[in-house]
Amino acid sequence: MHIPENYLSPSTCAVFDVVMLPIWARAIKKVQQSVPREKMPLLGIAAAFCFLSMMFNIPLPGGTTGHAVCGTLIAILFGPEAACLAVSIALIIQAVFFGDGGILAIGANCFNMGFVLPLVGFGIYRFICKRIDGRKGELIGAAVGSYLGLNAAALLAALQFGIQPALFHDATGAALYCPYPLSVSIPAMMLGHLTIAGLAEVIFTVGILAFLRSAVPSFGIEGSSEKAQTAPAFALLAALIVACPLGLIATGDAWGEWGLEDLAQMVGYEPAGLASGWEWSAFMPDYSVGALPEWVGYIVSAIIGTALLVIIFRLAAGAMKPTVDFDTPAH
Amino acid sequence: MEDPHTQQSSHAQQSSRAKQDSRAQQDSRTERHSHAQQQTRELPSWLAAEQDYEPQTDRSSFVQKSALSIAAVLRQLRLDDGTSARFSPSAPLKLVLLVLALVANSLSRNLMVTLILLACVLVRALFLNRSALARVVAVSLGAAGLAFIISLPAILLGQSTSAVRLGVKALVSTGLAMEVALTTPASQLTGALRSFKVPNLVIMTIDLTLRNIVLLGERALETLIALNLRSVGKDSDKRSSIGGVGGTLFIRASVSAQDTYDAMVCRGFDGTYDPTSRTTFRRIDLLWVGSTILLALLFLHLEGILFA
Repeated sequence: MHIPENYLSPSTCAVFDVVMLPIWARAIKKVQQSVPREKMPLLGIAAAFCFLSMMFNIPLPGGTTGHAVCGTLIAILFGPEAACLAVSIALIIQAVFFGDGGILAIGANCFNMGFVLPLVGFGIYRFICKRIDGRKGELIGAAVGSYLGLNAAALLAALQFGIQPALFHDATGAALYCPYPLSVSIPAMMLGHLTIAGLAEVIFTVGILAFLRSAVPSFGIEGSSEKAQTAPAFALLAALIVACPLGLIATGDAWGEWGLEDLAQMVGYEPAGLASGWEWSAFMPDYSVGALPEWVGYIVSAIIGTALLVIIFRLAAGAMKPTVDFDTPAH
Repeated sequence: MEDPHTQQSSHAQQSSRAKQDSRAQQDSRTERHSHAQQQTRELPSWLAAEQDYEPQTDRSSFVQKSALSIAAVLRQLRLDDGTSARFSPSAPLKLVLLVLALVANSLSRNLMVTLILLACVLVRALFLNRSALARVVAVSLGAAGLAFIISLPAILLGQSTSAVRLGVKALVSTGLAMEVALTTPASQLTGALRSFKVPNLVIMTIDLTLRNIVLLGERALETLIALNLRSVGKDSDKRSSIGGVGGTLFIRASVSAQDTYDAMVCRGFDGTYDPTSRTTFRRIDLLWVGSTILLALLFLHLEGILFA
């Protein structure tokens, strides 16, 4: 679901970049108010879960691949604003370091996966939680919310892809950017996400949530603000890092993430805007580290990405003002 | 013998005199009191004069800046004397590994080694305490930024990747060095130096320097604060005080050094450091050595020297 560079026109990218600015500003403000300073490192760990789940590529019907996002999971644990920030930072790291998703398209990607996905998922989760009590309601809410949240994001990405040929084409009618119209992009994206990718999102979200609720009950915004025992969460992160080369089993590209040559073969011509567009040369393109075997590169990339996320959120916690609650009595 | 009558009359006289005296004393007291009251009502002219003394503004940036920078250095030095974690290798091995990693990072022509070391640096940084983490990140990013700026001409010549590569290499090297420095107590570092046959005099100099920086820094701070408090208004003779501060510090430093040395001699120090008493090898060292050998083999393989 990561929209690559030049698949959307620069003007479309600019619109979403501008739209995201006030959303990020509000999210930062809200997180400063709602997430206690002690909980920020935990938010970093949650963002790392999101980063790793996006590395697990799953083969989808139609020869493409998809992945979970876990945005709803972070929204359930820390609130939708915190999820917006966490997913956005994970997406920015993926784009800058690993070339996964375009730099110019960061706004669009963050809008789909960082804003709409957690918001929809969290809204449905709350709706179900109010009607079904207890742990059962929470898990059902998480399952339905994450499934619909991911599909809402996929639908938005399909819409962004699909309007490109209608809006941007040359005199002969050849598309300048993404060549597939809405009639192709929506079925192609939704088929995979309504089935396998949606299921993967449900499994990741419910599995991690159930694990955290039983192993680290204070993980999340609602637990006690005393120092949480993070060892089980770190153990789960390590297990996911070791297992992430499984994502290499799915061969082929995700829909809408092909290279220029593959795309030219499929549609019969090179879209002009796509061929001449600016491209960022990422450090570890496609999570590969030079001549290292693919799976080693994948693990090294996963370690670097995970560590970067946790460090960023720890530093953010250090920069925040300490919040002291004078209303609660001392222990 | 005296007549009892005359005795009685003399007593009566004495008592009347005493009464008169006490009355007189009381009168004089009330007089003095009223006089004092009059005095308090009338302030002396010099005290009653309105004061409009405003000290001339003077640029005391020298004193303030020096004091601030000394305080900052002291805060960093006091921050953490270095605490080794559960999985840290022993200090001598740590130094050897650091040198090996720095050499490998500098020599490698491809990014693989640098990226693997970057992963190591980041994972270690995860478990540092917050202030140490902030320092490692600040210093490493500073070094990386400097390296990037220096190699900016390369970007103009079309070699944009080498500028980024140099930046990342600088980040990794600085990060490694900072992490070793922050996770090793100073005493263990000097002990480790001794086990590499570094001369005793060098170690003692480093050891005493490390200890004295904090002490002398505190005294410098005190002197500067004293100078700042005393210099009200415009101080045209400020330059001479720079020499004063320096001179006082120098005298105190030499006295302190002599005192320290005497104290060490009194406790049986004969100028030699015993390497064995300070460094204890840990079991975890084997794991570190093993993984380093694996990484070294990988490095040689990637550079095309081994199993090419």
